[in-house]
Amino acid sequence: MNNLTTLLTAAALMALTAQAQADFQPEAVGGVETLPSEYPDHWVMIHDVSFFHMQEGKVHVIDPLEENLGGQFKGMMTAGFIAAYLRSEQRNEHYVMESFHSRGARGGERTDFVTVWDPATLSVAAEIEIPAKRITGMPKTTMNGLIGNDRFLGVYNFNPAQSVSIVDLEKRTFVGEVPTPGCGFVLPTGERSFTSICSNGTLLTSRLDADGDLEGTSRTAQLFDANEDPIFETAAMTGGMAYFPTFTGEILPLDLSGSEVKAQARWSLAQNDEEKSWRPGGMNLIIADSAGTGYVLMHPDGGEGTHKNGGSEVWVYDLAAGKRLNRIELANWGLSLGTSGTGDDRLLFVTNADMGVDVYAAPGGEFIKPLNTGAQTPFLVHGAH
Amino acid sequence: MSWLDKLGKITESGARGLARRSSRRGFLGMLGASLAGAASIPLLPVARASAGGGESQVPAQSTGNPMDPGDPTTCDYWRYCGIDGFLCSCCGGTQNSCPPGTEMSPLTWVGTCRNPADGLNYVISYNDCCGKSSCGRCICNRNEDDRPVYRPSANNDIDWCIGTSNNVYNCSTAVILGLAN
Repeated sequence: MNNLTTLLTAAALMALTAQAQADFQPEAVGGVETLPSEYPDHWVMIHDVSFFHMQEGKVHVIDPLEENLGGQFKGMMTAGFIAAYLRSEQRNEHYVMESFHSRGARGGERTDFVTVWDPATLSVAAEIEIPAKRITGMPKTTMNGLIGNDRFLGVYNFNPAQSVSIVDLEKRTFVGEVPTPGCGFVLPTGERSFTSICSNGTLLTSRLDADGDLEGTSRTAQLFDANEDPIFETAAMTGGMAYFPTFTGEILPLDLSGSEVKAQARWSLAQNDEEKSWRPGGMNLIIADSAGTGYVLMHPDGGEGTHKNGGSEVWVYDLAAGKRLNRIELANWGLSLGTSGTGDDRLLFVTNADMGVDVYAAPGGEFIKPLNTGAQTPFLVHGAH
Repeated sequence: MSWLDKLGKITESGARGLARRSSRRGFLGMLGASLAGAASIPLLPVARASAGGGESQVPAQSTGNPMDPGDPTTCDYWRYCGIDGFLCSCCGGTQNSCPPGTEMSPLTWVGTCRNPADGLNYVISYNDCCGKSSCGRCICNRNEDDRPVYRPSANNDIDWCIGTSNNVYNCSTAVILGLAN
């Protein structure tokens, strides 16, 4: 009986194996994924500056709404040596401003590039060499800017003389250098201009001609005190306006829609006297979403030296009205903000003190989930929209 | 590891444990309370994510000079009130010298820190050491007197490896230049 059972079992197994072999299709070697050329609005590009291994920065392309790791992580770009990242929706390209050293981790000759990445293949579409003096340091979203309907890209130089390298994105060539003595940063302004923030509390606007060469400049009156109550380097940018927070918690609204900057009346983030001890702070501590709603990272008991502390709450504003709409109590202490999505599907991203990235609904602030992106130091989160 | 760092880590691990055990509302309430108490400490944006700072399992060290009190391998050493980066004292250098084989940047920013030994303010020059990749140990970020990048002579976000053979950043020092006015 036992022998018969064994024989029957073996016969059945052989039959199954033969069937399975008949159905098996060998897999192709060499498969490489691609992405849609138009990213969904809610996708984000997470810039891992890789602070502990600065030559090896990365920009991860993430779908934050997917449930599992494989679904969330769409691919990555490399971003060498405390690089900077920008994306042009209009040109549908990624740009990484990066530096390479001929001897790697021990230096050698430095070359700087604007590396153009194809969004669908995540491969390098072009390398545009620029002068090897782009600023290297903690990345800020305003260090570089798209100018003139995204025809030109301005790259902030610091060595320690300050200037801006102009790149023609259509011709993919370096055009030239615009001096910005005493001023830094690239805020796109008007038709074909950019504005830089100056240490004397003024703003310098440089106007380019159709070829990207400097045509003229204008300068505002002193708008802030760079020692007593400086404006941060980052602003909520929406509808031609830039809303700059100051260290003590005021907002300086600047109209950048024309060829000359116009300052508007300041207003306070605190809505009553009790809130005056709260201060803005963090890395990318202020941001506007696609609908123009503003978000500011806030901490209590602020004072000298707390301006990079981040915060336990995000305060939500109607920026044009200077009116607070909401206070979001964060699930984890926050250090940097990002946003993506449109309409009712807007998302707020908070890089937390453990260097995780938390996802919230915007503008309501409902906690959705933590992301697991594998990024070691995800300082900046850039929305696809 | 400084007590400030320890406090930060206790707060974080406590919050994480609480998150697992509690409802969201309860978690938020407790987190708010614990972080309110921690709000005055340096939050060390990168350091808090890293086990690299502090190097806690070794005895504290000192400068050997009672007028220069504290442990130069910890973030709360008085001279580091505006430093941002890896402490050279943990990387083969000291609080005022670079590790072997690196090069000290001649350019940087200066701030002032109060010496608890005599209660006086001293001008501190935060020179970076350059030419090898990140030391990766004892990261520290404190921001007294720090101002935005557009005021570079008062900013610690910039890679100050400028004027050196190359701009690869290794670690940061805090050199006393003199008494502040």
